[in-house]
Parts: sequence; C-alpha cells; structure tokens
Amino acid sequence: MTELAIRGLSKRFGDVAAVDGFELRIGDHELISLLGPSGCGKTTTLRCIAGFESPTAGRILFDDRDVVGLPPERRNIGMVFQNYALFPHMTVRQNLAFGLEMRGVSKGEIGQRIARVLETVQLGDLGERYPRQLSGGQQQRIALARAMVVEPSILLLDEPLANLDAKLREEMRFFVRSLQKRVGITTVYVTHDQAEAMVISDRIVVMFDGRIHQVGAPDEIYSRPVSREVANFIGLSNFVDGRVLGAGDNGEFRLETQVGTLRCAYSETLAEGREVALIVRPEAIVLSGAAPADSAGSAGNAIAGRVSERYFLGNITGYRIACADGLVLQVQDDPWAGFGVGDEVWCTFDAAHAWIIPD
Amino acid sequence: MTNSVEVPAAGGASASGPARKGWNPTLFLVFPTVGLLAAFLVFPYLNMVVMSFRNPSTSQVFAPGFTLGNYLDALLDTDLYYLEILLDTMVLGAATTAICLVLGFPVAYHLARTSSRFKSVLYAFVLSPLLVGVVVRCYGWIIILGNNDGLINTTLMDLGIIESPLALMYNTFGVSVGLVHIFLPFMILPLLGAIQSIDPALEEAAQSLGASRFRTMLRVVFPLSLPGVQAGTVLVFVLTISSYVIPILLGGFSVMIMPTLVVQQLMDAMLWPFGAALAFILSIAGALVVYVYFRLTSRAIRGIA
Amino acid sequence: MTDEAPREAHGTAPAGGGRLRRRAGRVGYLGIVVLVYVYLLTPLVIVVLASVNAGEFLTFPPEGFSLRWYVSFFESEAFMGSLFFSLRLAFFATIVSTALGVAVALYVVRFAGRWRERLRLFILLPLLLPEILTAIALLFFYYNAEAFFRAMGFDLGSGVFRNSVLGLLIGHVLITLPFVFLGISASLYNFDRSLEEAARSLGASRLTTFRRVTLPIIKPGIIAGALLAFIISFDLFNISLLLKGIGIATLPIQLFDYVRWEFDPTAAAVATVSIVITVIAILITEKLVGLRSLRF
Repeated sequence: MTELAIRGLSKRFGDVAAVDGFELRIGDHELISLLGPSGCGKTTTLRCIAGFESPTAGRILFDDRDVVGLPPERRNIGMVFQNYALFPHMTVRQNLAFGLEMRGVSKGEIGQRIARVLETVQLGDLGERYPRQLSGGQQQRIALARAMVVEPSILLLDEPLANLDAKLREEMRFFVRSLQKRVGITTVYVTHDQAEAMVISDRIVVMFDGRIHQVGAPDEIYSRPVSREVANFIGLSNFVDGRVLGAGDNGEFRLETQVGTLRCAYSETLAEGREVALIVRPEAIVLSGAAPADSAGSAGNAIAGRVSERYFLGNITGYRIACADGLVLQVQDDPWAGFGVGDEVWCTFDAAHAWIIPD
Repeated sequence: MTNSVEVPAAGGASASGPARKGWNPTLFLVFPTVGLLAAFLVFPYLNMVVMSFRNPSTSQVFAPGFTLGNYLDALLDTDLYYLEILLDTMVLGAATTAICLVLGFPVAYHLARTSSRFKSVLYAFVLSPLLVGVVVRCYGWIIILGNNDGLINTTLMDLGIIESPLALMYNTFGVSVGLVHIFLPFMILPLLGAIQSIDPALEEAAQSLGASRFRTMLRVVFPLSLPGVQAGTVLVFVLTISSYVIPILLGGFSVMIMPTLVVQQLMDAMLWPFGAALAFILSIAGALVVYVYFRLTSRAIRGIA
Repeated sequence: MTDEAPREAHGTAPAGGGRLRRRAGRVGYLGIVVLVYVYLLTPLVIVVLASVNAGEFLTFPPEGFSLRWYVSFFESEAFMGSLFFSLRLAFFATIVSTALGVAVALYVVRFAGRWRERLRLFILLPLLLPEILTAIALLFFYYNAEAFFRAMGFDLGSGVFRNSVLGLLIGHVLITLPFVFLGISASLYNFDRSLEEAARSLGASRLTTFRRVTLPIIKPGIIAGALLAFIISFDLFNISLLLKGIGIATLPIQLFDYVRWEFDPTAAAVATVSIVITVIAILITEKLVGLRSLRF
C-alpha cells in the first residue's frame, strides 16, 4: 500500500492562487477528507494529485516517488467523480473492465475481478445494464467499483455523494468508509459537507482560500478549532470576545469579557492582555432558572440572560439568549427543558468545554 | 498544524512544467481547414473585388488595366435600369420576409408548444422542403402553377370556372409563392428556438392577469421571441435577395432581379468585370439594409430584455 | 364574478359570445397552421403524383397509374449519368468535409482558447456568404489561377479547376463543411470532460481515451453532420451551375436544364428519385441519432 506526501503544493490560475503551500502526509490505510467551502482549493488539490492539473510549485510523492509531471494514466490512481463519469456507451461490465484492459490484465482474470468487485458493491446482477438504466445510488457504487477494481495505489473521491438524496447519502457514507477500511487503501476524499467529513474520515483537512487552516481528527477539529472560519464551518458556535487576564489552574485561562470573567481551557501559552475570542458550542451550555451556587469558585462559567427565541427540533430544543451588552448566545438543550420566551435564565458551561481562538 | 508554509523543494515542478512555447501539434487539426478556406474562399472573394475593377474586353475575359467604370456604368445608367432592378430585389426580399414571418410564426408557436405525439413528424415536415433540392421544389410549383397546363389552370378550366388560363407563373406572383415556400423553414427554425426558450408560465401569468390568448401572444410571446424574429428575418431576406434558381424557374425572364442579372452578365454576356461590380453593389446594398435593420431591431430587443 | 357564473352556465350573451370568439380564434390559428403545412408539402406530393401519372400533364383527377416516366428516366443516359455523378460527388464531399470538420471542431472546442469565437465565425463563413456569390468568386478564381499557372509555364491541361471534378468538389466541401462543423462542435460542447478524465485515471492514454471514449460519444454528432452534408451536397445548385464543366452535370443541373424547356414528367420521376434519396438519408439519421441532432 502507498503513503502519500504532498510538499509545498501551490497552484495558480493567472493571478489567483487556488492552492497555496499545501503540506500533508497521508499514511497508509488512512482516509483523509479535504473539507471547505466551494472555491477553497480542495478540488484543485485533488486534481493535482490525480494529474489533471500540474502544480505551479511543490512535490507530490507516492511512496517517495515524485509523480509531478507524470500523466494521470501512469499514476495508478482510482478516481470517483461527482457526476460518476460512467461511460454512457458501455455496459457496467465494460465500464469495470476498462481500467483492467488498460493494464493488460488477461480476459479470464478481468472476468473474475469484475465478478468479485460487483459482489463487493452488492450489484452482482447488473453487469449487462447501461449506466442510464441504473439508479443514482447504483451508479455511485459502480463508479466506486470501477475505481477500486484496478487496485490503485491511491483512491481519490471528488464529492462522490453530492448528487444523492439525503437519506441515501447518509447510508453511503458508512458504505464507503467500511469498504475503504476493508481494502485498506490510502484515500483522499473531497467534500463540502462537514457531517460527511466527520463520519467518514480518519483525519480532516479544513481549507479556506487555498490554504490549510487545520488538520486533525474529527473530534479535535470540532472541539478545538484554530480559527473562526473553522469553528463557523463546522457546527454552530458562540464567540465571546475578551482579553487574557492570566493563566489559572490546570491549563485554564481567565478572560475578561463583556459579560464578566470567564474561564476556559487552552493548550498553548498566551500572553497576558492579548485579545482573543472564546468559543463555546451551543450544546455545551446548560440553562438554569437560578444562579449557580458558587459561580466564582468552581470551573463553571455563568452568564445571565433572557430567552428571546425558542424553537423545537425534536431531538433538541434551541434557544437564543440575549445577554448583557448585545451578546446573543445560541443554546441547544434537551427537548424537555421548559423555558419560554422572556424567561430570565443563566447560561452555564464548563471551562473544559470552551476553547480559545487567538485572533 | 496551521499554515505550515515551506519553501518548495528545489526542482519541484519546474522541470516538467506544461508551458512549452513554440510548435503545437494540435495545430495540425486546424491547418487543413483554415488553409482550404483561405485559398478557396477568402482569396477568391478578394480576387472578385479585383475583378470588379478590371477593364472590360470583348475578346477576352478582361483587358489589362483598372477602372471604376463598371461601378459607374451600373450606378449612373441614365434609364436607372440597374438601380431599378436593385430596388425590385430589395422589395421582393422585404415582401418575402414579411410573408414568411406572418405564416411562420403560428407554425413555430404551435410546434414549440404542442404535446402531440406527432411532434417529430411535424418537425420533419418543417424541415422537409429544406432537405429537398431547390430545383425539385420549384418543379413541383411549375406543375401546379403552369400557365397553360398547370394543375390549377386545367382544373379550373375543366370545371368551367374560368374561360382562359390565369397567369400564375412567369410573374412576381409565381416567384413569391416559390420564394416563400422555399425559405419558410429558415424563418420557422429560429422562431421555434426562441419560442421554446420562453417559459410557458409567463403566458399563464399573462392570462391569469386577464389577457386573452391573442393579447398574450401580442404582448408577451412575440416580444420575447424577437431575437428569433431578428435571426429569421435577416436569414430569409439575405437568402431571397441572393436567390437565383427560383426567379429563373418560376419567373422566366420576366422577373429580373439582381442575382439573375449577374449570372446573365457572367454566363451569357461574358462580362465578368461588370458582373462582379453588380454582385458587389448587391452585396453592399444588402449589407446596408441588414445593418440598419439590425440597429433598429437590436434597440427594440434590448428594450425588453 | 360570482353572479357571472350562472349566466355562463345558461350560455347567455356576454360569456357565451366570448367563448365563441375564443373558439373562432383557436380554429383560425389552427387553420393557418394546417394551411402552412399543406403549402409546405404540396409541391413535393404533387411531384410524386405526377411521376406516376399516366398522362403528359398532371390533371385533376389523375389519368391513371403508370411507371412509364421512370422507364424514360432509367433509359436516359444523361439523367442516369448525372445521378451517379451526383451520388459520387456528394459521397466524396461528405468524406472530405467530415474529416476536416472533426479535426477543426476538436481544435475549436478544445484548444482554440481566445481565438475560439473568431475561428468559429471563419469556419461558418461559407454558410453566411450567399452561395451564388461564392460560386461566382470561385469561377473567377479558378480562371485566374489557371491563367496564372499557364503564365508560370505549368501546362496543367484543359483546366485544373474548371471543367474538372476537383473544382466542383472543392466548392461542395466549402459549402458542406460548416454543417458538419456545427453538428460535431455541438456534441463536443455537450461532452462531459470528466468522462475523459475518468478514462485517464483508469490508465488510458490521450489517444486511447479519444478512441474509446470521446469518439464513440460524439459519433451521433458526426453521423448527423455527415448525413446532412451528403444531403446538402446532393441538392447543391448554384455552385454546381457555375462550376460545372463541359460534360459534367450534377442531377440538379440536369433537372434544371430539362424543366426549363421540357415539361414531360420524366423530370417528375427524376425529382421523385431525388426526394427518395433524401428521405432515405433522413431516415438513417432519425434511426441512428434522431432528427433533432441535425443542426442548421
């Protein structure tokens, strides 16, 4: 199996840097997602790896072998396209055989391998159909099978689930993930859907404007984002601007904010007086009707406010809480919490559930 | 973790960079065609310009030397013979275009909106005259319109409705019937495209606001199809003023328009320089009409779009 | 509104009158549509009827069925010769313009860059310029080119271009090329480039990708363009009239010469055969790729 290393990859289109200084090592068996809004450079990065774009600068190494300058057909990749790109004039079987024929695999073996891969994607009896006779989900699986059957060194997926309807898309996430784990192929997965990236990836690369903002496991990206963009792109966030007062006990910092002193976990050192933002996720906040017993001493934070909106989502109830100085906090509480619009409430959260973004 | 920008390793992509200047093998794809068009279209047209300034000759195709005389002869003729033919040509073109528009619009609208399962048959009907040779189509009209033995005249006389045959051919009427018939598809096809791109919901909206079908046509469909109208009318006009076979076959020599005149000068009188000059006078006059028309209609189209 | 409903139900004056007017309008509209279709098709139907009519002239009612005009056509050396000449000419013109058209459409769509629109317009020139003018220009040009060659000391015999099939063929290729180009470039524009990328990612070279993926998918456009080129060339008149040589006549020219002076229905048989050939070409197109792929 193959390890993929990308070193200082940049791609410019005229004056626009689509990808700028991309650095990444992707381990054997690993599934990495490139996540970001459209135009962030994730697809360009993928196309550079595939060989459809040649980088302006940088190196792309498949197991220490630089593939820059090699045409796509000589990189031994498997690629799944957003629109599947199944050859409309060929049957499913001919589509699957195409890559094997290009590799000079014998007729007998082609038959066996196609049978096996059709089994794997659970479409054993559709070999003689044409792509247009398949449903979207079936086309998607055939596209996946076509990329996998050639046993590529690297599997590249470009928004492969974007054209499926919501329910099927969620099922396919698990299908793709378990298939990738079973085969153990190094995989780069491009998506703009944060939930999809969270479910599917070992690690997520979050990109904005051609640059990597953060690389990390899904939980790390979610709970310890490095920038406002990352925090905003993945899930809902509350930001409270403040100034560092000083380090507290066990890796905590105290911040002076518009709603009083707040405590917050952070892993790196911060100079006193520095302007930062505290971020806390809506589900980390608990509402209560009365002020907590000792808001000063413990690890807890408490902010007073008034419920300005309330909405019911089934599994949770959402609130917008108007606090002092124009701050509005978004809170998600369990659906049975009985606060109504206009109620005076306290928003409390643990210092360990908050995080700092140094602006 | 963030933004670890490093200077790319030396020799990165530059060795295999794609931008190689100079000879490009894809040019092989385009050279044969461009060469053919340059040698056998652009050059001949330039050559024709030169020809129109040649001195006429009675024994040869042209005599040495150059002159403006061919143009002057055509434009300053005391009887205004050539200018009158030019005017007749333009009038015939305008009339044919107008009739094609009036006849073509309902057909294009019907074809665009019909859900009949014979839609593709109807489409083939519209195309059919276009795909059958112009001589064949004219011959069909000769059989029908013939002044002595034509289908209409013989039938009417057999029935005793008329005493002597009607003059249906070898006049402007016959030529117009043929011209409209042959160029109607060139009107219908652009109109069809334009009408198909109009959202039917707009018509429903107009009717929901109280407009009758006719007023909906007039106030909504027609203005929105103006780009198609423009394309179709220009096409039919240009085709008409440069048509040769139809006027010859259905008009004989009694309907003289510029193309028949030009070919007569070239093939019968062997006056090539003069014929070339007449051809250019026709081209320039036609281009002027189209240009003015384009300017006027484009303003109208911008007004709605 | 509310008190109008019952009145309409009783069919009294205002509402009923409106409905009548609407129906009259609709009948009038459909009437025009039908009449135009009749007008478009009548001459073609009449030609076919005249060709199987026994009499010298088509009368109403017809004089009975006969194939004598077809016999007269098939026995006419002039007509048969020009029929086969036309078929051959159209065949070669189609081959040449299709080959040129595929290549140049590929270039224009894929590689032309900022020259694309200008190049497109240039290739469509023969379609935009009046055919009769192009014919005249070619006639002059052939004459001058031959004179030029003679002056340079090359004796190329009795005309390289005039009085030769080559000159006629070039004219036919010029006129048919834009049609082929339009058909093929349309199918290239609609072509989904990710299919080629998929083939490359599976290990196919540029050439293999073109042969196994691109070509099969744009084939309908090529076929439609080629068949249209064949039909256009087969029916082409003005170019053939001015560039025909002595002893070389295409079927439309032969027919033209005939119907100008003769009125016997042999011409109807010829015209019918020519219609049939066109219809066959159209049916092949419809069968293979659908009529809608024909682009004008």
